[in-house]
Amino acid sequence: MPDMVSLSRAASGQPSQFKTPYSENGGTILAVAGSRFCVVAGDTRRTDGYSQTRYAPKVFRLTDKAVLAVNGFSADGNMFVNKVRQQLEWYRHGHARDMPLHEIARLMQTMLYARRFFPYYVSNILSGIEEDGSGAVYTFDSVGSYERDTCRVAGAAQSFMQPYLDNQDDWYTRPSVHYKNQRSTHSSSRPTQLPLSSVLSLVMDSFVNASERHVEVGDGLEIYVVLAKGSSLQGLEKLTGAQEVTATSDGERVFTVRRSLRRD
Amino acid sequence: MSIMEYNGGSVIAMVGKDCVAIASDLRLGNQALGVSSNFQKIFPVTDRIYLGLPGLATDVTTLRELFRYRVNMYTVKEERDIEPETFAHLVSSTLYERRFGPFFIEPVIAGMSKTPAGGLKPFIAATDLIGCLNFAKDFVVAGTASSKLFGVAEGLWEPDLEPEDLFETISQTMLNAVDRDAYSGWGVMVHVITKDKVISRTLKGRMD
Amino acid sequence: METSFAITGKGYIIVAADTTAARSIVKMKTDEDKIKTLSPHLLMAYSGEPGDTIQFAEYIERNIRLYQIRNNYPLRPPAAASWIRRSLAESLRSRKPYAVNLLLGGYDTTTYTPHLYWVDYLGTMTEVPFGAHGYGSYFALSLLDRYHDPEASLEEGIVTLKRCIDEVAKRLVVTPGKYKVKVVDKDGIREIEL
Repeated sequence: MPDMVSLSRAASGQPSQFKTPYSENGGTILAVAGSRFCVVAGDTRRTDGYSQTRYAPKVFRLTDKAVLAVNGFSADGNMFVNKVRQQLEWYRHGHARDMPLHEIARLMQTMLYARRFFPYYVSNILSGIEEDGSGAVYTFDSVGSYERDTCRVAGAAQSFMQPYLDNQDDWYTRPSVHYKNQRSTHSSSRPTQLPLSSVLSLVMDSFVNASERHVEVGDGLEIYVVLAKGSSLQGLEKLTGAQEVTATSDGERVFTVRRSLRRD
Repeated sequence: MSIMEYNGGSVIAMVGKDCVAIASDLRLGNQALGVSSNFQKIFPVTDRIYLGLPGLATDVTTLRELFRYRVNMYTVKEERDIEPETFAHLVSSTLYERRFGPFFIEPVIAGMSKTPAGGLKPFIAATDLIGCLNFAKDFVVAGTASSKLFGVAEGLWEPDLEPEDLFETISQTMLNAVDRDAYSGWGVMVHVITKDKVISRTLKGRMD
Repeated sequence: METSFAITGKGYIIVAADTTAARSIVKMKTDEDKIKTLSPHLLMAYSGEPGDTIQFAEYIERNIRLYQIRNNYPLRPPAAASWIRRSLAESLRSRKPYAVNLLLGGYDTTTYTPHLYWVDYLGTMTEVPFGAHGYGSYFALSLLDRYHDPEASLEEGIVTLKRCIDEVAKRLVVTPGKYKVKVVDKDGIREIEL
């Protein structure tokens, strides 16, 4: 049944009176899981039409083993991160430990679906270290559908970066993962070993490429690296600007790396 | 429903060292339903110009026939082959003739053009559906997977690739881009144009 | 609902179309022939907007015949298909476009090869090993992906066609009922009973 009110308004050529409560603030986020680490990255540009802010982070450390990247409507994103953090704090008080990653993922589904009919306008990528020490990436849509991935991009430049990573994930970091379109289709496609140094340069390259072609991507790149319990620094100590942001001494360690991107 | 996405399909062209490459997918669909896995979107114009026509399939055929006619008339009148630059402007003006009722096609042109010294140099160009020309120095993309092609090409392409390396680059770009596009894929056709020959290859792709 | 299929095999093409002429929810007729013989080796199954189909099919039929009378030879399948496609493509940008979908099956007597063209009302044309129009295409195409064999004999081809018809009868809500089936090969055109 057509909506008669909007039809008559469309016919009279008047703009809709209704103001949407959402905006779209551009930017892109990305996460890659390794066997004993994970990398989460996001650019720091926030756009509002043609104007922009140069440093508005959208990747957040939740615990020492979980990092959350939020992309879409940044007000909703920030509020959602606050709500997740509040839940995690209550969990810590109740259980005297940090919530495991897969539990955070399920919690986020519940929280997102609770707003099924007025959603947080956000694509979430949760990444970190599972209880078995493996790196993991969980991707969510705005109403809570989620799946575990090895490599995922979301946001404005998703279509630019995801197919590039499908291809490079593997190629850069041989001997490794899927080798998309570079191997027979029958070979095993279960990801195995990716060295951290290769993943980091791949992530940086991807953002440089995206900022080259997309107006909503640029200014700065903020990367979080989470290392599993007892794993070595794998070259992180030599990386310029790598900064440790670990809060506890439980085992998992979190680092940040910042790089600049095109500002035009 | 966008008319540019009704049949699906994508084309890309790249510049190399003394060569150019152009590639397309082979799918023809009716929205989500695949109809043909052998629908050519790239056509030879002269011995060293190829034209890619992604967009609405009826206009792919109509424009192919129209350009064949106009290039034949040019060849007869001028008693010589058309140059890529000239052909690009022919494409542009042909599309602009229909400014207010356009053909739903975004052409991509790849060819080798004559230099004043008598040599050949690579040439690529693309236009929008009303004929606005884009002469790029690296690569041009068009079709339903264009944003994906941009992303992969931006990462893989580098200047002065030899024909075989250019073939590998354009093939990987195309295959990985169309694998993330539901409306493109079902096989890929690649042409690499060098000074003295054209290498044409059909690639198998994912069928999902 | 209107449905048509066509499949190629070794030296032949089978074209099948349902025989119902419906208006709204009423079956007006159940023996309508929706496959025209355009020339001694060319068949055209047509479907779409009721008035347009017959008007367009007859226009094509008479003009293909006129060409044969004027030139003393018929158009070969690729040439006929190109001309028919162009008629639809030009009609598309006219004041009242024809809404007609076609399957063109022909046997080229100069190269001894069968050709099948899938054409829709927009003027989209592609040569295919098998094709279908209407709701039946959603069932038949996936079936033909599995069972079609370009080297199959006529008997095997008919078995494959029957699979398609049976599947549509089984799964489509409004089943077409009867089909008319025609074959074109080196000997010309003939109708066959399933």
